Amino acid sequence: MAYDRKLIRNFCIIAHIDHGKSTLADRMLELTDTVALRDMEAQLLDTMDIERERGITIKSSPVRMFYTHADGKRYMFNLIDTPGHVDFTYEVSRSLAACEGAVLVVDATQGIEAQTLANVYLALDNALEIVPVVNKIDLPSADPERTIHEIEDVIGFPAEDAPRISAKLGTNVADVLARVVELVPPPGGDRSAPLRALIFDSIYDNYKGVLCYVRIKEGSVRAGTRIRSMATGAEFDVTEVGVFMPQLRVTDSLEAGEVGYVAASIKTVSETKVGDTLTDVANPAREPLPGYKHINPMVFCGIYPADGADYENLKEALEKLALNDASLSYEPETSQALGFGFRCGFLGLLHMEIIQERLEREFDLDLVTTAPSVIYKVVRINGAELSIDNPSNLPPAAEIDYMEEPMVNANVMTPSEYVGTIMELCQSRRGVFIDMKYIEEGRVNLRYELPLNEIIYDFFDQLKSKSRGYASFDYELKEYVRSDLVKLDFLLNGDLCDALSTIVHRDKAYAKGRAVAEKLQEVIPRQQFEIPIQAAIGGKIIARETVRAVRKDVLAKCYGGDITRKKKLLEKQKEGKKRMRQVGTVALPSEAFMSVLRIN
Amino acid sequence: MPGIYIHIPFCMAKCRYCDFASFADHADTEAYLAALETEMALCREALPQRLYDTVFLGGGTPSVLPEGAVSRVLEALTRKFRVTPDAEITLEANPGTLAADKLFEYRSAGVNRLSLGLQSANDRLLKKLGRIHTYAQFLESFRLARETGFDNVSADIMYGLPGQTPEDHLDTIEKLASLGPEHISAYSLILEENTPLYTDVTGGAQSLPDEDAAYEMHRQGIALLEARGYRRYEISNFARPGCESRHNLNYWNNGEYLGLGLNAHSALRIGEKWTRWSNTARLSDYIQACGSGERPFAGEPQAIPLAEEMFETVMLGLRKTEGVSDAAFRARFGRRMGEVFPKAIERLEKKGWLAEADGFFRLTAEGLDFQNLALLEMM
Repeated sequence: MAYDRKLIRNFCIIAHIDHGKSTLADRMLELTDTVALRDMEAQLLDTMDIERERGITIKSSPVRMFYTHADGKRYMFNLIDTPGHVDFTYEVSRSLAACEGAVLVVDATQGIEAQTLANVYLALDNALEIVPVVNKIDLPSADPERTIHEIEDVIGFPAEDAPRISAKLGTNVADVLARVVELVPPPGGDRSAPLRALIFDSIYDNYKGVLCYVRIKEGSVRAGTRIRSMATGAEFDVTEVGVFMPQLRVTDSLEAGEVGYVAASIKTVSETKVGDTLTDVANPAREPLPGYKHINPMVFCGIYPADGADYENLKEALEKLALNDASLSYEPETSQALGFGFRCGFLGLLHMEIIQERLEREFDLDLVTTAPSVIYKVVRINGAELSIDNPSNLPPAAEIDYMEEPMVNANVMTPSEYVGTIMELCQSRRGVFIDMKYIEEGRVNLRYELPLNEIIYDFFDQLKSKSRGYASFDYELKEYVRSDLVKLDFLLNGDLCDALSTIVHRDKAYAKGRAVAEKLQEVIPRQQFEIPIQAAIGGKIIARETVRAVRKDVLAKCYGGDITRKKKLLEKQKEGKKRMRQVGTVALPSEAFMSVLRIN
Repeated sequence: MPGIYIHIPFCMAKCRYCDFASFADHADTEAYLAALETEMALCREALPQRLYDTVFLGGGTPSVLPEGAVSRVLEALTRKFRVTPDAEITLEANPGTLAADKLFEYRSAGVNRLSLGLQSANDRLLKKLGRIHTYAQFLESFRLARETGFDNVSADIMYGLPGQTPEDHLDTIEKLASLGPEHISAYSLILEENTPLYTDVTGGAQSLPDEDAAYEMHRQGIALLEARGYRRYEISNFARPGCESRHNLNYWNNGEYLGLGLNAHSALRIGEKWTRWSNTARLSDYIQACGSGERPFAGEPQAIPLAEEMFETVMLGLRKTEGVSDAAFRARFGRRMGEVFPKAIERLEKKGWLAEADGFFRLTAEGLDFQNLALLEMM
């Protein structure tokens, strides 16, 4: 029998990294006896190792809880945990669309951060009821009253009744549950209408195929229902529906207002993308739910196995990751320097880092990655337009009429003492100042227009280090604008090394060319001949360094008959040599390719 | 013929570049010497009988042992093992630890070759290395050695030292050669991790000569040594004709040797099997194992597969300027070296690093400089 809809609350938690979202979720699971204490592992909802280590959520993991309120009624809570990073804005918006309310957690020692604000606006766009909560009141530096004023000033809704909690200690967490019942409205939706189920996430399960995480907006779905993806038209037979306890539990059906999963022998997550609407083939809905977007990758890089023999392993690993990640794109590419690899597309920087890290950690691969690139628009003299995500594919300068690059609108929230250094940073990244507003005394929101290619590598790290970790950052893609871009190439002993080429703004090309050439000079080991390193724009050499020839490579001494030591050294040397990439006559270590990235 | 190495892990002070098993604390000397004698007995029982024709007391600094200890060790050794009457018996000694009494003792115990650690004739450099002696003390030790009848003396020197110039190195060679030792070892400094010098250099407190300067020391050093009548017979070793180190040549011929003492390494043919092992590098483990009647292994002895034994023979043999004797190789393995490494030999000959002449495969002067790279071709 369907659960009384008036007793259902679907909500999510919005918080900045480290403000205590996962800890609060853990406390809620405990208080509602959803997870026995002995089974608790800190931050249960974050299932991937990388998530736990970085304290961020990548995959949303929903969970169902039952809470008995002061009114004596038993409420069904569906908590949808949301990804917490700028790269996943679209996923966040779909998770929010599956809810009626959002618990806004703000750290009483830190205040509101850029990312939080962006997500609160997303929640308001989705007409969610906001339940503000002030966390970390146990810390000596906590200032709950000031934080509440900030919420009221910045977001503009009353927050004086916000629970002051310590998720870590469990203080006042019960108040949060009560506020959810009181403030978040129960779901609407007609249970007898044609099925419309919003997919807000999906994961691949080895036994069941893809599990679509859904919020049933209208109608109902059960095993045996033939469903259709309204975005792709693909049809599937539902094999199982169920809910998250947080372990999967099979149920007879999912009804409008409920949150659960649908399994239908779907082979990859790209067949049922986030934001898609599932409907009943026998009784189809006329319109899909609003908000579906096909999300295109914004950042690209080449990923190559450090050892060419691992190509097949890399391919399999990417296939496996893509099963679970519809926003990861990859296609084979070949580099003269790096051999066979893949051009991979990502939603953003964090997404790129996560994928690289998972490939290395979960699949035990050693990778060489090329400098990340955005998509440039190139208009040829003959009027033809091209999209370029790999510098090597850029036509010769003489054939290019003009180029465009993507710009973003960036918000940086920071304590005011760092405004100067952050403005310098944005300026040095070709940023155009838009405005600056005091959020409250001592805290500022800076708005800049920045080229995406200036922030895709180390902008975030720089921002953090220049503000001692206090500044937060959020951006959205704005538009393409014309830009004076050039391809910066590097020649080693006269041979072009394609994997080192980058597209940069002309004003920065000289400095970058010099810096990379210097770095290469440091990381390229001496070889038996002198190696000139040249940075070039078109045919013009703009910087030059030299790696001197090696003079001698021999072990001075064989220690008292200890020849195993010498053999080990030789084996290590051989291993190192095997991992070198040959560019023309020059052998390059993996670090050489990274050196293009590590330039300040 | 096989040789015996005996490790004495004690020094007056630890040099800043040293990562060998050696200690400045001598409290365990007596226990160590007792353990060493036990190990000799254990090996005597466990291993096939051999006739040994070299003995090398190395360290550490064997000359820091108290009076009588070296005689005791050598007496114990010759009671347990058969050593030829004309065996080369070398003792490593450091200036600052030698007196006439000790040298007389060594002579009468059978030591007939001294290896003195000079390292440099420049006191400033000696200090940087953490050596305990001055050049003047070396001169004194050398004079005493001659006076007590040592007619086979070797000196170790090093180059590529922090703050060293090619002139410093040549000056050391010139001064040393004028004394006329029979043998000189000239090693380039190897910066080992976990040494104070490594910390000095990585932390910027000391800096090493750049690669080009170090190479000049190497190149000019060889030329000067040869000009003074010291023939280069191994990558880092020079001798008056006929005064080459027999003990070390045995290593480079991939011959058999028994290592006794802390962290000593051994290679012996046991039955048909070419076998290597090493002793523990922990002093307390060594003493304890011997005390309870067990061999103080660092790990199980390893039977070396034939292909590796062949590679080792080349790896070590190509350190000698004479090279690897194809006849000796064939006698040992039943195949010619050219059959085992045909491609590598072809590539190396083409590069001008390897030459075959008079039944020997030898590295050219350039090949010797790039021995590691040459060996990689054969792996």
